[in-house]
Amino acid sequence: MSKEYIITICDGTGCIQKGNAAIRKALEQQLKDHNLTNDVRINLSGCLGMCDKGPIVVINPGYTIYGNVTPADIPEIVEEHLVRGQPVARLAIQEDHLYNRFFRIFGDAKFFGKQMRIALRNCGIIDPENIDDYLSLRGYEALAKVLTDMTPKQVIEEVKLSGLRGRGGAGFPTGVKWQLTARAGSLNSPRAASDEKYVICNADEGDPGAFMDRSAIEGDPHTVLEGMIIGGYAIGAKQGIVYIRAEYPLAVRRLEKAIADAREHGFIGKNILGSDFSFDIDIRLGAGAFVCGEETALIRSIEGGRGMPRPRPPYPSVEGLFGKPTLINNVETWANIPVVILDSGKWFSTIGTERSKGTKVFALAGKVVNTGLIEVPMGTTLREIIYDIGGGIPDNKEFKAVQTGGPSGGCLPAKYLDTPVDYESLAKAGSIMGSGGMIVIDQDSCMVDIAKFFLEFTQNESCGKCTPCREGTKRMLDILIKITEGKGEMYDIENLKRLGSMIKKASLCGLGQSAPNPVLSTILNFREEYEEHVKDKKCRAGVCKKLLTYEITDKCVGCGACKKACPVAAITGTAKAKHVIDQNKCIKCGACFSKCKFDAIIKK
Amino acid sequence: MAKPTDIIKKKRAEAVSRIISKGYLSSKRVYVGMATCEIAAGSKEVMEVFKNAVTKGGLTDVYLSQKGCAGRCNLEPTVEVIEVGKNPVRYGKINPEKAQQIIDKHLKKGEVIKEWVID
Repeated sequence: MSKEYIITICDGTGCIQKGNAAIRKALEQQLKDHNLTNDVRINLSGCLGMCDKGPIVVINPGYTIYGNVTPADIPEIVEEHLVRGQPVARLAIQEDHLYNRFFRIFGDAKFFGKQMRIALRNCGIIDPENIDDYLSLRGYEALAKVLTDMTPKQVIEEVKLSGLRGRGGAGFPTGVKWQLTARAGSLNSPRAASDEKYVICNADEGDPGAFMDRSAIEGDPHTVLEGMIIGGYAIGAKQGIVYIRAEYPLAVRRLEKAIADAREHGFIGKNILGSDFSFDIDIRLGAGAFVCGEETALIRSIEGGRGMPRPRPPYPSVEGLFGKPTLINNVETWANIPVVILDSGKWFSTIGTERSKGTKVFALAGKVVNTGLIEVPMGTTLREIIYDIGGGIPDNKEFKAVQTGGPSGGCLPAKYLDTPVDYESLAKAGSIMGSGGMIVIDQDSCMVDIAKFFLEFTQNESCGKCTPCREGTKRMLDILIKITEGKGEMYDIENLKRLGSMIKKASLCGLGQSAPNPVLSTILNFREEYEEHVKDKKCRAGVCKKLLTYEITDKCVGCGACKKACPVAAITGTAKAKHVIDQNKCIKCGACFSKCKFDAIIKK
Repeated sequence: MAKPTDIIKKKRAEAVSRIISKGYLSSKRVYVGMATCEIAAGSKEVMEVFKNAVTKGGLTDVYLSQKGCAGRCNLEPTVEVIEVGKNPVRYGKINPEKAQQIIDKHLKKGEVIKEWVID
């Protein structure tokens, strides 16, 4: 045998049920018998999306897919394929699906193998600035199929069948939204559907630490455009707009190039691909206000006004941009559309859980070994994401919590690690799916401080239109600062809870309605930390500066480095003798702590 | 009049032949990650090294392309070497010096530099 083979066994739920364990056992035995154990690597992947043909075995190089494999087939596969280099035609299946394109290149790496990529299928595979690369991977074929074989109604039915839900965070069924927008304007006079409609792509990604939309657009801008054009056809719109923040210059540049290239090829403009459907796409740059990710504020911003939300209803699907019915979806939602059309809504609906279909992109960040951008089937547990894909917590530290949903979400402690990732389960656990931020927190972080960080963000970004959000978040932040400075009282915790639930109920838009979530969820799950801050004036993670004391231990050799570093002359001591910190003078800046070369200064 | 599905088939065939005419069928293909995050980590300089090798350094039979972010943020910049009939090789944390070594060892002599490989 001249090559090194990598054999991937699908380890998704479907294949586990169909007995992939027996296949693995048979394979290991056969490799042993043929003395191949060192030349062949066995690798387990996440769901490969071919459950109906499972169990699935993939052999690389060559990307040969074997379906309906039984343990009895294994000797033949090993002898024919691995020893003689002749793939077993009888078992090989041909797949030309759009999803999981990345798998051929990245599938055997642990970080990638557990993922399934639908929205990010071309990211990291193709040259995003070359439309030919996209075309070669069946690009714009979904659009052509829609224009040739499907009525707008059929397109909407297909999207409804897929079970796709809005990936911006709220999880509204996409197909229903499309249907509402398609019908809008026809309520009073059934024959006069509004002649002017708009399609908007919401690329105003503002969550701290989130970069899903940026990566999706930078890696594969055409799939977003294709999704939008299909959406335009389905609802009868002629104009699409991508609202993207100006802080993403490269994404904007690639999008501009993609639009120009698509126009040149006749995918955008008049009479697309020779049909009688015309559609154009423009870009609008946002100035980076977080609230503009909220759909009514975003629309106001495009209209030239100040980005502020308005009460709903009427929803944008009825009265949106310039008062016209408007279909507004998130980048990731649009990127899913070509797959729903080509790989079929029925296939899409087999991925995920009962009520959350397909996959979700997450920006995995914080205290985790493999930070990065991942896409996993709905229903994957937080534990699988953090430990199998993320590689666990660095430096053998202890997992404390995972924050999902950014400033609108909550912190879940270790007992929720086996929560499957879907809209309902995360909400039940006290957090939200959100747009896909996922921050792992370890023992070194203070939960009160984390809550303060997110609240500071939402408080800054509150547009000021409604009082609960404008004043309420400010007062909540005041209380949190008080607690972290050691001036908190027990009633402050109750006040935070009362204020939080009031802001949630009374705020005008999603920003205010979700702003208290980080505080409320940390009080719920980490109440003891709040109480320590209040009663004992202690921060167990050593993060809240005002609650720290620095002390010099017997390890001190009297070098005097700390004394020199102290900006307020709080440290005294003679050379070669142990120094002392005057706690009354100390401002807890930490300068001595970082200067000491002998680990003689401790934080308490 | 041609149906949209026929037009797209023709367009795809044209796109594929354009890609091939750029050297896609070379024995090795090299992809350098060029998203904002990768560029911030230094992938532009890495790309320069490969570009120079192809244009001036006499590196032949190699198809060089940029790509978007594959998602390995902590290992950027990333470079992939894909060779027909072999398993793809993914390199992480590549700088200009390492890029030069990939050219000298992997691309010219076929030796995979195992310690930089992402698995």
